[in-house]
Amino acid sequence: MAFLVFCSHDMFLKLDTHYLEPNSSVEIQLFNGTFSQSDNVITRDRMADVSIVGQGQRTRIDSSQWTERGNTTILSLTTGPVGTWVAGVSTLPRLIELSSSDFNDYLEHDGATDMLQWRIENNALDDDAVEKYSKHVKTIYQVGEAITSDWQTALGYPIEFMPLNNPGTLHAGESFEVELLWNGEPLANQLVYLGSKESTHSHDHDESGGHSHESHSDQGITTFRTDDAGHMSIPIPDHGIYFLKTIHLQHSTEPNITHESNWATLTFEVGHSHGGVAHGHDHTHDEDHDHDHGDEFPTTLFFIGSILIFGGLFLWFNRKKS
Amino acid sequence: MKVISRVLISGLFFILPVLVFAHGVSDADQQILSNGGLGAYIYVGAKHMLTGYDHLLFLAGVIFYLSGFKDIVKFITVFTIGHSITLTGASYAGIKADEHLIDAVIALSVLYKGFENLDGFKKILGTRSPNLLLMVFIFGLIHGFGLATRLQSFDIGTDQFLPKIICFNIGVELGQVLALIPIVFIISKWKSFKSYDSFYKAANFYLVIAGIGLFIFQIYNYFQVH
Repeated sequence: MAFLVFCSHDMFLKLDTHYLEPNSSVEIQLFNGTFSQSDNVITRDRMADVSIVGQGQRTRIDSSQWTERGNTTILSLTTGPVGTWVAGVSTLPRLIELSSSDFNDYLEHDGATDMLQWRIENNALDDDAVEKYSKHVKTIYQVGEAITSDWQTALGYPIEFMPLNNPGTLHAGESFEVELLWNGEPLANQLVYLGSKESTHSHDHDESGGHSHESHSDQGITTFRTDDAGHMSIPIPDHGIYFLKTIHLQHSTEPNITHESNWATLTFEVGHSHGGVAHGHDHTHDEDHDHDHGDEFPTTLFFIGSILIFGGLFLWFNRKKS
Repeated sequence: MKVISRVLISGLFFILPVLVFAHGVSDADQQILSNGGLGAYIYVGAKHMLTGYDHLLFLAGVIFYLSGFKDIVKFITVFTIGHSITLTGASYAGIKADEHLIDAVIALSVLYKGFENLDGFKKILGTRSPNLLLMVFIFGLIHGFGLATRLQSFDIGTDQFLPKIICFNIGVELGQVLALIPIVFIISKWKSFKSYDSFYKAANFYLVIAGIGLFIFQIYNYFQVH
């Protein structure tokens, strides 16, 4: 079976960089649409929860801190003390009525292919749908250099990505370990998509084998499936801003509602090593970051330089002596 | 061929720290510390000593100057006392430096040791070099402060705070012993070769160059960040 990943109804919390200075002004943008373009703002009355977690404390954000610019909702904050921080937004449920063909299109384009497969197998492709949906989004960002454990704090949303390692200290080539929770319990066998800032411009690619338990990649969007413990190990190929998204879609038992969906995203940045944490000042340069001592000489350069300098000196002194 | 093989062996001597350094471990270390007990702090402390080439280059410089096992034990003990004082004290008191500045000073200790081993004080400055035992103790304090700054970049919580610091320190000492074994072995072995004099000069000139290079790199990074 083939499907397209349009990501056109997703919600994301976005930052220009996830590595911030302490006590500085920052705008966290709430995109509703794709990762590269917000199609509409989110009104405050739709927000069930807006929270910031840092320094071991969860702070509910006042609606006055939100503004709107075009189709984007913006949360203006002053970053707090150094540490790893989490911001989250959870929306109240809404209903949408969809014809069978629109519903099938949406399942295909947004990657809710398990439900589409179920409709195919159960001869239900012609059934219209009334779906109750809500969205729950998180972002992790690093303020200053000191790592704190706040990234491990669960916000208690119906569906939630829980990092098992801090993405802010990851380096290119390492894996991001994540657990997916549904009502606080591990969610097994759930489709999850990984995208990046660079990958979201290609939406019309065709992916096959959507029901495989192996991950596969196509033009920057990579598909994963949680294991029995709700875990995923996600290789991070390069520096950059990434997102995880999933749609938990199930049949509803509520009257006049056919389906209920809960959407989750998590945005994070993998930057450069810097004092135990990474930093995101330059996403393009190509140093070797496989070390833990911050901004030290790149290992390869140090290796080659040491050999050349010492070898050259030794030969020179030896020749001089003889 | 003998010369080339010695260059290769000595190259291995200098890149030993680099070889073990090539691991993406910062987040892995945090994970180990978060999920492990006190043993995790010993492990991470040992790894930080083994993978910190500035510490190892300085120790190599100290070993060059010494002759005899008793001397080595005496100087390494003084260095250990020095870095244990600041590592434990500064970590416990929550005192830390800018990591680039402290690493820049540690780089200067590498430069210093190479310069001293080359008799730079007498030849260039026309003076006697300061008491080495005292200098090793002072540099031990500085290296310990660098390690304390590194330890405080981790989230170690408040539970068993002092035992965690002490275990990290124990790990540092274990890592130091492990690192010293090949360093002492290679330097001692080379003393029986005719080319030791060239090896000695080359190694210490290298320490001077490495010290200058690391110093410039850390200062450059300091101004990049600030």
